[in-house]
Amino acid sequence: MIWVETIVNGVLVGGLYGLLGVGLALIVGVMRVVNVSHGEFIVLAAFMGVSLSGLVPSIHPLVLLVPIVLVFFALGYVMQAALFNKIVARPDPFAAILLTFGLAVVMRNVMLEGYGADPRTLTAGTLAHASVRIFGLSIGVLPLLMLGVSTALFVALQLVLTRTTFGRIVRATADNREVVRLMGVNPGRVYNVVMGLALALASVAGVLLAIRSNFTAYSGVERLLIAFEVVVLGGLGSFWGAMLGGILLGVVQLVGLKFDPNAGPLYAHLLFFVGVLLRPNGLFGVRT
Amino acid sequence: MRAAAAMGLVIAATVAAPWVIGEGVQRFLAEVFLMLAMAEMWNLLAGYAGLVSMGQQVFVGLGAYSLFFASMSLNVAPYWVLPLALLVCAGVAAVIALFLFRLREAYFAIGMWVFSEIVSLVVSKSEWLGGERGMGLRTARLVAARWLEPVTFWLSVAIAGGAVVGTYLLMKSRVGLGLMTVRDNDLAATSIGVDVWRNRFIAFVVSAAGTGLAGAVSFNATLYVAPGFAFDPNWVVAMMFIVLMGGIGTLEGPIVGTVIYFALREVVTVVFGLPGTWYLVGLGLVAMATMLYAPAGLWPMARDRFRVEWLSVRRRPSVRSGVAAVTWGRELRR
Repeated sequence: MIWVETIVNGVLVGGLYGLLGVGLALIVGVMRVVNVSHGEFIVLAAFMGVSLSGLVPSIHPLVLLVPIVLVFFALGYVMQAALFNKIVARPDPFAAILLTFGLAVVMRNVMLEGYGADPRTLTAGTLAHASVRIFGLSIGVLPLLMLGVSTALFVALQLVLTRTTFGRIVRATADNREVVRLMGVNPGRVYNVVMGLALALASVAGVLLAIRSNFTAYSGVERLLIAFEVVVLGGLGSFWGAMLGGILLGVVQLVGLKFDPNAGPLYAHLLFFVGVLLRPNGLFGVRT
Repeated sequence: MRAAAAMGLVIAATVAAPWVIGEGVQRFLAEVFLMLAMAEMWNLLAGYAGLVSMGQQVFVGLGAYSLFFASMSLNVAPYWVLPLALLVCAGVAAVIALFLFRLREAYFAIGMWVFSEIVSLVVSKSEWLGGERGMGLRTARLVAARWLEPVTFWLSVAIAGGAVVGTYLLMKSRVGLGLMTVRDNDLAATSIGVDVWRNRFIAFVVSAAGTGLAGAVSFNATLYVAPGFAFDPNWVVAMMFIVLMGGIGTLEGPIVGTVIYFALREVVTVVFGLPGTWYLVGLGLVAMATMLYAPAGLWPMARDRFRVEWLSVRRRPSVRSGVAAVTWGRELRR
């Protein structure tokens, strides 16, 4: 029974991992760049949650998500406009990696100066300990809620990208930025919105993860690696693949920790490695 | 002749240096030279072979751990097992290249990073390697205390020199030419028969071996190794910033970058007395600015401005080779 519970919890945390990855997958899919500072933004959102809930302790952290998401959308938009659009058209594929890597180092160390190196966590009040019994299993309400939020966001993103005009423009820009320009679309502005969306998704994941487990200014590295593993395992550009990849990673990590309590993310990393070895295009990606 | 004389002078100065400069300066210079060696090795990968790795710290750690483990289990002075550190890193690189070379660009970069994390986690869980606490280098007592600093200093100069000269020679060779053609136009390169995979493999293994050697000497100097320090991603952060600031894909770039890196560190931490975090913030900002406004780095800018060439591996067709080509063409037509 304990194993079933572990697996169920793995699925629940995995939904959150999927959410960590989907922001990155969006950027990779549309801009064809990897944002190495993605993990730092996730941690920044968590710190923002901690600061805000310190300022207004009466408001539940889940409600605080609303202003945080808005701020992160704006942050993503401005950053893409001010920094990343300058290099996105460069043929050199390393420019983006290195620019965002520099940004990650700056953000990590500024957060370290501002918030110190102690582990933090977001407290969610009574909700954190509430649980329901389903088929004799005791399952936390909060993790269930998190999986619900992740799934809802996945569905929403999928619908926006496939059913709306904006989604069509985004997909067209991803396919060919020169041709959409001929159609009167400014690819730079599309990128700004996409980066805003990606960081908004990252901030949701960051805040939810901060409620689940504690974090430090250094956690960005770990978060980025999870996000990246989710993207590659799921198959590049495949959003449902990212969700499934996240769930797989979550299950493997929790089952691994049950076997071997001080393993940390070792088994998740190993799964990624084996996955890449067997299927370089991801578990659900298209073979090219 | 002049080059040989200059070389002799440099070697003589290096050998004599420990009798002139104090131990503190020797230690600082050893750190500088080892960092230069690692940066040159990263540059060989990123600047010439087109492989950006964010996991080169794995070789720093592997080199250090092989040295510690081999030296203590054989009970010999650590310097004698240095070649072993090199071999271990080259071997590991050769094996993981088989798998990781399937990943391209950013995926390779982060795939390497994940590999480094895996090795780091496995080492932290291995009690025979001291686990998370790490281990001290007990065999250091086999070396007379007054020789520790000078030998480290000599080794670091030798490794840095080897890294620069080795990369220079490699780039002048067929392998280097192949690498540069792939970097500049991989389609054209493969169509004239350049074996991309093989050239990259050689660069990757050489780079891993050099990084491992520098890592081994670096931790040999501190007499203590722990996973948190040995597999610290800040190693690759430093390599990356040095290469980017100085000029990626040039041999002189990392030298310029190393000077700036350490000058900046000394100014921020010693002159202004700020904590190391602000130094890293500064480095990050400088790297971003370089990427935005001078993507080629500082050395190429200075080189074009002042028209200087020093360790250039650029090839110029000589008159003789031109004549040879013409005669060869005539032979063919006959």
